[in-house]
Amino acid sequence: MVEIDRQLLERIDALTLGESVRAWKRAMKEAGWKLFADREKWTVESWRETVGMDLELRRALLFRKIVENVEIRIQDYDLLAGRLTPAVIGCATSIDVCGDYIPGIWKDGEELRITMDANVGLDRESVEILRASAREFRGRTAPEMTYKAWEAVVGEWIRDAEAAKLKDPTLDTGIFGQTTSVLMWEKILREGLGGIIREARAHIDDFVEKRGTDIDRLYFWQAAVIVCEGAIRHARRYAALAREMAAAETRPGRREELLRMAEACERVPEHPARTFHEALQSMALVGVCKNYEHPMHNNPQWGRADQYLYPYFIRDVGSGTISLEKASDLLAELIGRWGTQTFVSSESSMESHQINFGINNVMVGGMDVAGRDCSNELSYLLLHVVGLLGLSSPTLGLRWNRGTPDWMMDKAIRTNMATKGGIPLFENDEVVIARFVEDGIPLEEAVEWCGLGCVYPCLPSRAEHYGSEGVAACNLAAMLHLVLHDGVDCNGRRTGIATGDPRDFGSFEELYDALLRQHEFITHRVFWLAAIARKEQAKYMRLPFLSAVGVQSCMDLGQDLLIPDPATSIYGISDRAIIDVADSLMAVKTLVFDSRTLTMAELLEALDGNFEGARGEEIRRLCLAAPKFGNDIEEVDLLARRLSEDSYRIIRAYDNSPFRPYMVAREGLAWHYFGGLGVGALPNGRKAFEPLNDGSLSPMRGADRKGPTAVLRSALTAGFKESHASVLNQKFTASMLRSEESVGKLVAYTNAFMAEGGTHIQYNMVDTDALRDAKAHPEKYPDLVVRIGGFSAYFTQLSPDIQDDVINRSEHSL
Amino acid sequence: MDITGENNPARTAVIVNIQGFSLHDGPGIRTVVFFKGCPLSCRWCANPETLSAEPQVGFLETLCAGCGGCAAACPNGAIRTGEGDHRVDYARCTGCGVCVEACPDGALVRYGERMTVAEVWDEVRRDRIFYRSSGGGVTASGGEPLLRAGFVRELFELCREGGIDTCIETCGYASREALGEVLSVTDHFLFDLKLIDPARHRAHTGRENGPILENARLLAKSGADVLFRQPVIPGLNDSPDDIEATAAFLSGLGLETPRLELMPYHKLGQSKYRALGIKYPMDELGPDGHERAEQVQKAYLDRGIHCTVSR
Repeated sequence: MVEIDRQLLERIDALTLGESVRAWKRAMKEAGWKLFADREKWTVESWRETVGMDLELRRALLFRKIVENVEIRIQDYDLLAGRLTPAVIGCATSIDVCGDYIPGIWKDGEELRITMDANVGLDRESVEILRASAREFRGRTAPEMTYKAWEAVVGEWIRDAEAAKLKDPTLDTGIFGQTTSVLMWEKILREGLGGIIREARAHIDDFVEKRGTDIDRLYFWQAAVIVCEGAIRHARRYAALAREMAAAETRPGRREELLRMAEACERVPEHPARTFHEALQSMALVGVCKNYEHPMHNNPQWGRADQYLYPYFIRDVGSGTISLEKASDLLAELIGRWGTQTFVSSESSMESHQINFGINNVMVGGMDVAGRDCSNELSYLLLHVVGLLGLSSPTLGLRWNRGTPDWMMDKAIRTNMATKGGIPLFENDEVVIARFVEDGIPLEEAVEWCGLGCVYPCLPSRAEHYGSEGVAACNLAAMLHLVLHDGVDCNGRRTGIATGDPRDFGSFEELYDALLRQHEFITHRVFWLAAIARKEQAKYMRLPFLSAVGVQSCMDLGQDLLIPDPATSIYGISDRAIIDVADSLMAVKTLVFDSRTLTMAELLEALDGNFEGARGEEIRRLCLAAPKFGNDIEEVDLLARRLSEDSYRIIRAYDNSPFRPYMVAREGLAWHYFGGLGVGALPNGRKAFEPLNDGSLSPMRGADRKGPTAVLRSALTAGFKESHASVLNQKFTASMLRSEESVGKLVAYTNAFMAEGGTHIQYNMVDTDALRDAKAHPEKYPDLVVRIGGFSAYFTQLSPDIQDDVINRSEHSL
Repeated sequence: MDITGENNPARTAVIVNIQGFSLHDGPGIRTVVFFKGCPLSCRWCANPETLSAEPQVGFLETLCAGCGGCAAACPNGAIRTGEGDHRVDYARCTGCGVCVEACPDGALVRYGERMTVAEVWDEVRRDRIFYRSSGGGVTASGGEPLLRAGFVRELFELCREGGIDTCIETCGYASREALGEVLSVTDHFLFDLKLIDPARHRAHTGRENGPILENARLLAKSGADVLFRQPVIPGLNDSPDDIEATAAFLSGLGLETPRLELMPYHKLGQSKYRALGIKYPMDELGPDGHERAEQVQKAYLDRGIHCTVSR
């Protein structure tokens, strides 16, 4: 383990954002979203030029056409070249990949519904460009054709099931038409794209020499050369632009910055990076090219940036080649840019993610193969910088393990307190590595895991297909709705199997069994559709650039990552709403089967009336009063555990893929809102179509009445050991944590939970706005405790003037 | 040991709240057990629901929708409701809590539940992993826990057996015997010193401070770990003379470095007074004590007292 430079840590603590980053943040605040259709011009042109060629080569040439021609710009505050659109906050489109993201696009004359926000600049010319592209690619995109194939097999069921939120809508959280691998950053920096080109050429030479016959492999390596050359030319265009701007620049400081940018773009990403500045410039350019290939949803993931960037960072900062301030600003710039360059998303994607930023993930800390924690000064700087930026993207994850040093945890908690919380979130390194190893991944690969999107753990060495076959998540709460209605969903459609009238169930076990049978049916269908999707997708789509720079096995095999490979592909699925269902089952068990306070008929009537009928409110109170997860009540916590284990078992049993078994990961930081839209009133007391519980292991909102530690104890009982990821959100008021000694206590709190096997935790600091909301909507915050100087009370039980006093105090303590 | 308490009233106590994840009531992460009943009646008390030793019902006017369900449910006819009018007759109310169950809006709350040592132990033992990682444990607070010294002793004996750290937060007004009963099983004391001047102490808290000062001396002599605490009530106990007197008292205890934590006065307790139908005794008082506390802290530091301000 490296010796940590404590003085450097202190210097990092004192850093603020530099002028260039502040200028960018100001510009971002003033700027509206702007949509750029420019990319579409070049995809159409290329597609016409390449008629008749192999798909891999066509996609490679299309990529090269874009990066060689698309409009580029260097903003006045840019220190690093490479942005997806010329705008401060811009989004590009990709009808060739998935036109369905723009409702109305396929039919001329239908209104386009672009769902960013009202300021998206969509002029007449852009609309024409989009329309032309749609005409070209109609009937040729994977999502469109996959739906057709699905409908041929299951008919309307697929649309019905998505409408009932039984599974994620394929276009959105079933992140269709896209895989989301972390790029091979370390290799890109070490060898440059020039090295990757040489590697592909060597394969081609070998193929020719050995008179290979598997021609698809030759195409792949040829495509790899084309895309890497394209990316290098893209960099050269920036170099030329920067030189041109430098020549006209009157401010000497800015001229110097532009010249340095030009020099860097002349060198990287073609050649190995020599400095920290070149390393980030290389990443900026390769990252933006990744997005040009496929400008949707997931931006380039940073992965373990504190590891692969560390040698450049510590050497340059140590030698004074770069100032600490400049290094920090460069990181802030690129992290911020990848959080704000975005994609056009569909309406339901907005609903399911509640954001319109690109989803980006930075990982810090974590063990090496010998079990030693690898936190270093750069990990510390990343915590600091992401905290300073205070943006909703990236997600910053800390890989907690027993060796995580105190100074890292201290900084992590302080960063949480300085922001509104959530920076960083904590994931259990030991648990995740163990899960990968149990699934047959070699330890040396497993220790390199990093977060993807929010908390989904992925292996940079594998082709990660999370959701790329249209699966992503299935919704146990919607399944429970089916069981309570004999297979009919909230839209009145029979999307489930008939499991019998619940009024005839003689025992709780009959109900439970019906739920498992419903789960089996849905899960089986979902896997069936996934198999179809994998096949269809490879017919229409390839990602030669991501394959070449993202996954080593693609290069070795000569195979695009969208062609599923049993040895190297990893697939994942998420079974959600387990806690909602556990609480609901518990309420039914308590009220209908144990105490017999209610009959099933009475309960169902109340649910179907959304607790509004004659006895609605009374029955809802009984439901809410039933034991709830989050209070360390063994019976309901163990029920959650049983459900978790059974759900996992069903998924593994019905997994019909020829690959490594599906990874079960229960992430989804904002999914609960969306998932709830398909679920009627539940026996846990939740009303129809309201959000489900946030996170996969968080208690029902307001149901945890025994304080934060009881929630963690419940979570430890429920276990969720089968899952690679889970999400537990906790809220704290700022007043509770304001003293210096609270830092150490929250560190100890986190350590205790994780050491006992907790998989994930993330803190949200209840800020002034939330307190105001709690004053206006007390029903949403029954569990909010205020503690100030020996005084302790539920916030909602305070009178308005005292609530104002508390709000006032909160404002001043932040 | 028999901890069921079934036949021994000494082994039950009225508990207002058992609060986990407490960060400001002793070392580490603690669970605070709030006992009901206090011998003092300080005018600035922020938790008036802990004054009476019996269970009580509080009424939260702002949450009441005026349905009248509580009045119908009350077995003692202690609640009257009508158009824009809802009153609890506290003389008739026995704190039984039937109305709390009947209220659909959460406008009635029950303060205090009679619990056995076993029941309290079952709650507090659960956070052991957090005590261990943070150096925390259990704090008996209130109200005044020394009014239930036997109960506290039994609870703390169980904590000791389970390797759990123990702390008492006390106003100090207790018999020598009561203090002696818990001394050997308590790791830390948070001991309130409100006023040294006897007459003003009596005026503002309703009791003499003689027993308090004597217990403070006794504790200091015993070698127990004591953190003294003082509320800072502007205009009431923060004069130079008061500070001088407290400093002199602390210095005379024979401790190496007496430690004092200042608790700035605030009026957040008003809501609870309203809920209990008690007139807030401090209405004439001015601002919160936070700014003042920092000046007072400085005065204590100048006098060699290790003084901090609670936030």
